[in-house]
Amino acid sequence: MIIRLFSRFSAPVFLIALLITTNMPAMAEPITISHDRGVLTLEHPAKRVAVTNWAFTETVIALGIDPVAIADPEDYHDWVAVPELPADFVNLGQRSSPNLEALRAAKPDLILISKELEMAYNSFNAIAPTMVLSIYNNDKDALPTAREVMEKIAIAIGREDAAKTWLAATDLKFAEYGDRIRAAMPKGHDLDIVNFVSPTHISLYGPPSLPGTVLRKMGLSIAYQGPVTNWGAAKGGLEILGPQAQNTLVYLNPVPDVIRQKVWTSPLWKILDFVRNDRVYELPVVWAYGGMPSALRFAQLLTESLESGPVK
Amino acid sequence: MTLPIHRIPALLCLVLALATVAVFVTDILPFAKIDAIGKVLLAPDETDFDQILFHYSTLPRLIMGFLCGAGLALAGAAIQTVLRNPLAAPTTLGVGAGVEFALTVFLLLAPAAAAPFQEAVALTGGMLALGTVYLIAARRTNATLWLILAGMIVNLLLQSGTQIFLLFNEQYLQSVFMWGAGDLAQNGWESTIFVLPRVIIGMIAIFALSRPLDLLALGDDTASSLGAKVTLLRIVILGFAVFITASIISAVGMIGFVGLAIPAALRIAGLTRSRDLMIYSLFAGGFALLCIDFIVRQMNGIGGDILPTGAATALFGAPFIILILRKARIMPGQQSDDHHQDQQIISKNTLSLALFATLLAGIILSLFVSLNQNGLAFLNGADGFGDIITQRAERTFAAIICGAALAVSGTLIQRVGRNPLASPEITGVSSATALAMIIALVFFGFGQRAELMMIGAAGGIVSLMVLLLLCRKFSHAPHYLLLNGLALTAILGALVRIALTRGGTQTSMLISWLAGTTYFTSMTEVMVVAGVTAVLLTVAIIARRPLELASFGADQATSLGLGINGFQFMIMLLAAILAASATLLVGPLSFVGLMAPHLARIAGYRLAGGHLLGAVLIGANVMMVAEWLARNLLYPQQLPTGLIAALIGTGYFLLLAIKRR
Repeated sequence: MIIRLFSRFSAPVFLIALLITTNMPAMAEPITISHDRGVLTLEHPAKRVAVTNWAFTETVIALGIDPVAIADPEDYHDWVAVPELPADFVNLGQRSSPNLEALRAAKPDLILISKELEMAYNSFNAIAPTMVLSIYNNDKDALPTAREVMEKIAIAIGREDAAKTWLAATDLKFAEYGDRIRAAMPKGHDLDIVNFVSPTHISLYGPPSLPGTVLRKMGLSIAYQGPVTNWGAAKGGLEILGPQAQNTLVYLNPVPDVIRQKVWTSPLWKILDFVRNDRVYELPVVWAYGGMPSALRFAQLLTESLESGPVK
Repeated sequence: MTLPIHRIPALLCLVLALATVAVFVTDILPFAKIDAIGKVLLAPDETDFDQILFHYSTLPRLIMGFLCGAGLALAGAAIQTVLRNPLAAPTTLGVGAGVEFALTVFLLLAPAAAAPFQEAVALTGGMLALGTVYLIAARRTNATLWLILAGMIVNLLLQSGTQIFLLFNEQYLQSVFMWGAGDLAQNGWESTIFVLPRVIIGMIAIFALSRPLDLLALGDDTASSLGAKVTLLRIVILGFAVFITASIISAVGMIGFVGLAIPAALRIAGLTRSRDLMIYSLFAGGFALLCIDFIVRQMNGIGGDILPTGAATALFGAPFIILILRKARIMPGQQSDDHHQDQQIISKNTLSLALFATLLAGIILSLFVSLNQNGLAFLNGADGFGDIITQRAERTFAAIICGAALAVSGTLIQRVGRNPLASPEITGVSSATALAMIIALVFFGFGQRAELMMIGAAGGIVSLMVLLLLCRKFSHAPHYLLLNGLALTAILGALVRIALTRGGTQTSMLISWLAGTTYFTSMTEVMVVAGVTAVLLTVAIIARRPLELASFGADQATSLGLGINGFQFMIMLLAAILAASATLLVGPLSFVGLMAPHLARIAGYRLAGGHLLGAVLIGANVMMVAEWLARNLLYPQQLPTGLIAALIGTGYFLLLAIKRR
């Protein structure tokens, strides 16, 4: 065809044709992406993606592709909430052991797993090309890692442009939310972000966690700077809030009713300065172990919560 | 140094009391300077966080530590006297598991308005569990042993139930595990006010019954002839002991070791009268737990994490349990009453053929039939046929091979130990295997399955060696081996709980793995385990003649010219290797190693060779069914195979126990 073009038309037209063909090499050249278990090579960008944890689920959806197979979709509604899941997908069952036959039936051309499932890598890879990507539990800061993971997924599904646009918009939003938070938050009281784990124990997020790194990105800093587990948070009794009492407390939902009732009536909770002086804020459901979309959602919810005022 | 024997318990209490005073002084010292001791104890300054913390957290924690230790040790002393068994404890009777199950369900399902009923629900769970255990064991000739066995079965059944609940509510794992690992942290006086009156009522009741307890200690026959209504007394005393235990467990979680070890240690130290034993237990237990909790508190926060008190207590207690096992004089044990009449329904050849045919048919069904969202599905020649078959075959064969390996292992242990209740699961070999792998995974970061399998196998073999060292003459007292295994399993269980609270999101994987999943299995592993099993089964069958002699008992066998100890040792080593390799694939709790040889014997396979073969066929069949159910029952959710097998196994023993009443 090119030869025919050459013979019929003049050289400039040929050059344009050449330009068009060189501009679309994606179809011809294989894509290579490095991941936790080596380098994945794909002939074409993946169209049918299967996801085995929620950070992947929300990231893929944010990039504009509906996953064909999703693990733990019911709990996703309770713990991650948005972005909404597509109308039609294959339910893979638990995240800790996604159903391989259901996965195969979904006919994916790319499977995303984290290192918790790496022992079954060969089983996954026998079904479709599989990438091992981990945001947490690896001594890395959550937000930059989540960003990296999003970029890698974008390459694999041919949505690099969408990712660039999304990330650029998100950076702007982080900056905007940062300004709004600085304006709205109680002056002189840094932010503590916690999860209620049991009636007597909490998780207090530290610098490497998703909340910690999002705050840093927004030019703020998380109050707690002490030792943390490799999930980025410190676990302890309510007493670890004692030294933090001059800060502002923000807690994440969901909080089981039983736990809320016990904590709220506890004298130890009532004495804390942020409780006595109305500096306790509540966020709606947000997944503190998610990917970039959860990071953005956390920033947005935090802004809205601080602007609308403390829990009464 | 020679110390009069009767002084030792008093001295022990004195040392613990001094340590307690030291703990209290250390805790209150910061307030000495600001002249606020009275204030901090009675009415803290509402604006000073440190004072509030001491008054509402440290002080109730100290008191709870003492109360829980005292209550559990007293309950343990009472139960041990009633059951005449130094290794009995509230937790060995299923109470802990019952409370845990009830509370887990409550925490996950109950609305906020129901919060005031939380403790009542937990209490009911514990009482119901004990009731079940008692119903199974009551009116048996060897009730003491049966009570422990029934407790163990109910424990496992309830734990399996709890685990299934947790697997489907992953997000709440952390909170339930924190409680399950025993947590003395306090946010106010609420728990103390809940526990205090209950423990006191229980104490008064038990002390009031302590004279009849002394009669009980003389043995059923003696006590009956003295006019005590043995059964009624047992129920009442056990009831109060459990009441104390359930109150404590529902408030602070599993703290099992105190109730087991304190009274047993005091008994070894020379206390025999039940009233003395209980008074000393009360104080020694209270002081001991308070001091241990102090050490635990100092370790909190290291690495941003928590060390749960109950689990840590078990670690402190491990050396004591070993000591008790070495010193304890287990009450003169009758041989187990577990002699089955042969039920020759059909000839064994026909039965073997039938089992074999079932196995073949089952394999074909497992490979071609499954359940999915549309109901039954038959595999047809569509695309991916080969891959799907391979994957199903991997898991089905893994289960079958494990069933066979555990069956051989169980048969060998039961025959050589001449103990129909021994099995790799019950003697702790399986738990040790799993524990070694979990420690390697969680604390040392080994991630490759091959490495983990080697480590696991080593763990299993070491645990069996320890077990053999602890009871060199285990063939003389069947339940001695059983109790050793029980203690070993309890220690390992505590370690597993610590690992689980630290496991992060690996936790859910660890649980499904502990519960036994074929999910991560590969064909290579299946082949290796199959090879090992085939070779060792062949060895065992070749050795069936000496095995037959060994089951007669050491005396006869030795007089027949057999070097029994060397032989026993070799057979037990085989059994440990088999159990370890199977545990690597299906987890420590499948119960197949107990159930398959048992069923085979009931079905009439009596000679060693036949017994082995029958057990293998039965074990393989059971695991095959469990595996299919696990894969398909709740599609697309995958249940752990070992858990389903455990439910089948415990269900079988419950039925057996109820039927044989």
